[in-house]
Amino acid sequence: MATNSIKLLTGNSHPQLAKLVADRLGIELAKTMSLNYSNQETSVTIGESVRDEDVFILQSTAPGDINDGLMELLIMINACKTASARRITAVIPNFPYARQDKKDKSRAPISAKLIANMLQTAGCNHVITMDLHASQIQGFFNVPVDNLYAEPSTLRWIRENLEVKDCVVVSPDAGGAKRATSIADRLDLGFALIHKERARPNEVSRMVLVGDVENKIAILVDDMADTCGTLVKAAETVMAHKAREVVAIVTHGILSGNAIETLNKSKLSRVVVTNTVPLLDKQERCEVLKVMDISPTLAEAIRRTHNGESVSFLFTHAPTD
Amino acid sequence: MVRNIVVLGGNSHPQLVDTISNILGVPPCNRILSKFSVGESRLEIKDSVRGKDVYIIQSGGGKVNDNFVDLCIMISACKTGSAKRVTAVLPLFPYSRQPDLPYNKVGAPLSKAPTDVNRGDFTFESRPPTPGPGQPQSQSLTNGNGNGMEGLQKKLGKASLEQQNGTTYTNGITPPRRSDTLDSSSSVTGRGRGSSSSSASAPPFTTHDYENPTMLKEAGKIFQAKPGYKQWVAQAGTLVADLLTCAGADHIITMDLHDPQYQGFFDIPVDNLYGKALLKRYIQTKIPDFKDAVIVSPDAGGAKRATAIADDLNVDFALIHKERRPTRITDRQNATMMLVGEVAGKVTILVDDLADTSNTITRAAKLLKKEGATKVYALLTHGVFSGDAIARINASALDKVVVTNSVPQDEHKRLCPKLEVLEVGTVFAEAIRRVHHGESISALFWE
Repeated sequence: MATNSIKLLTGNSHPQLAKLVADRLGIELAKTMSLNYSNQETSVTIGESVRDEDVFILQSTAPGDINDGLMELLIMINACKTASARRITAVIPNFPYARQDKKDKSRAPISAKLIANMLQTAGCNHVITMDLHASQIQGFFNVPVDNLYAEPSTLRWIRENLEVKDCVVVSPDAGGAKRATSIADRLDLGFALIHKERARPNEVSRMVLVGDVENKIAILVDDMADTCGTLVKAAETVMAHKAREVVAIVTHGILSGNAIETLNKSKLSRVVVTNTVPLLDKQERCEVLKVMDISPTLAEAIRRTHNGESVSFLFTHAPTD
Repeated sequence: MVRNIVVLGGNSHPQLVDTISNILGVPPCNRILSKFSVGESRLEIKDSVRGKDVYIIQSGGGKVNDNFVDLCIMISACKTGSAKRVTAVLPLFPYSRQPDLPYNKVGAPLSKAPTDVNRGDFTFESRPPTPGPGQPQSQSLTNGNGNGMEGLQKKLGKASLEQQNGTTYTNGITPPRRSDTLDSSSSVTGRGRGSSSSSASAPPFTTHDYENPTMLKEAGKIFQAKPGYKQWVAQAGTLVADLLTCAGADHIITMDLHDPQYQGFFDIPVDNLYGKALLKRYIQTKIPDFKDAVIVSPDAGGAKRATAIADDLNVDFALIHKERRPTRITDRQNATMMLVGEVAGKVTILVDDLADTSNTITRAAKLLKKEGATKVYALLTHGVFSGDAIARINASALDKVVVTNSVPQDEHKRLCPKLEVLEVGTVFAEAIRRVHHGESISALFWE
């Protein structure tokens, strides 16, 4: 009679986070090796038995190699499936292609749906992710999707690091209004919104602020910071409306392209991101960048999923360190 | 001019897309295919595909994963854009070579436990341990009626014996349990080849053509299977087939699949075109006195492909048998290749479906020259030439390498004067035309 235990596997995209989660769970990472052949095909080798085990595969998205990471994850899932794992859970803190979730133009691909289909085809039985760009992406799957929130960690960070009563929560775009109002409600704070007109992707044009930020600490809240164009423009808009200070709290710090340079030149006094995406040396290159560790939340979600306990507790509470 | 057809090209091989759309007389579909700064692929299809028969051309070379994900996104976008039928045209099929089962240094895949035992592997677990290499075989399991307690005592007794033996062998120095370097593994050879030490130095995997020793050594340093477990190498073949189907492909056109069985991984029609006709024509027109030449297959797997050509041309055939097991004498690599057949004083033509690192064909050429071949040609359908393949070919005994342009060859051709490229676009254009009109594809391969 074999015991059914947690096996945590990881790809090459974010080994540090995997290590943190494994430490938190008190287990060792499963021995795997994934590398690229010289013809750039990905090869995955699993060095221990996963037969009848509860397999969790953690794979984030390293900026630049999204597709490599994706294929690695798919191959890894499939390898576990063919190796008779009992259940395979993909832990994808930052869901790739989450922004391509609708047919906004004729013949535009709904890549998020494609990724969902691919994950299921590969043999994934369960998905754990965090702060999906649009929570409707959960509906793209026919398997359970646990969409965790970084919000409890965010709230704690605000309470510990900022003068709460002087703050105002600002959503840098209309899409994130819900996320921002939720935080504002929890902290019993005022709320403001920036309306932006987007010309082309990764570029931002005119911005209009709705609400009062005068003499307050403005907290910009968003789900991801990519090139940071939006954030920086929003910070300028907020400062132009006489805010005392502007802080950004973002779940996924993708920070691609010239994001670091943009942030360094910006009016943001602090940019807080979680470690869902590998930050590499970005923290050294950017003084305003602060990191919240969300590995306890992921680890707890994995533990609860494995034991068949409710995960919804984590939607409102962040596990303490 | 073919009507109601859309030729959509990926980024992997623009030249082939042009050739095919020129032959078919339709302009390639206007699209934007680039990347966002994060690295996510971005696709916009400008022309309508509604009700059209769409052919998406994307080869498997270059950045394989990017190209493959791009392909899936293109298929999916056409499907959601109401295309009538989406056909994926993959001149070189990605992930078509399945990695072979890894061999253990001691021999073929392990089937029974080695006699020596790793100390420190014993745990007092309530469940019986799985018998396997590196773990003592449980007495109760082998006998069927054994007493668990007795078995444990035997095990412990054996372990302490082994411990003593171990210490005497290495003169008081306890050998490291997991030895990562060759030096430490040679220091424990006295007590026999333990499974953990040998798996550290044995290659973690071998694939056809994939024998780059430096890379294997690197991999061996970071990776080691758990004692008692033979590592599980992912076989991506079925996955890739499933992913294409899941993206929405209705039909696949490809060429010279490495394994013909690959067709069986799909639930949709797969047209596997043959490069044979092109290669045969080359032999007949460009190789003088080809009637006296010998067709050589560089490994046993390709024997069928090579004999087919040899039979058609009615010429002699030889085969090189490649011993894949790692030998102890590392510097005499060629000792592991055996030639079956007569090549002395003849022109030899190596025929294979794919050259990646070119290790196989260059080594085969060396062997053929040693056996007295006057000239060595290599005819390949797919020339991936990754890593230092081009440099290796330039330095090798090969006189001429002929490939099709199933993957872009311009860069390779610039670097390698021995390389000759055959146009494959005509074959694909004709196949697309036939598939579109519902004509027979097999007629393409009749003489």
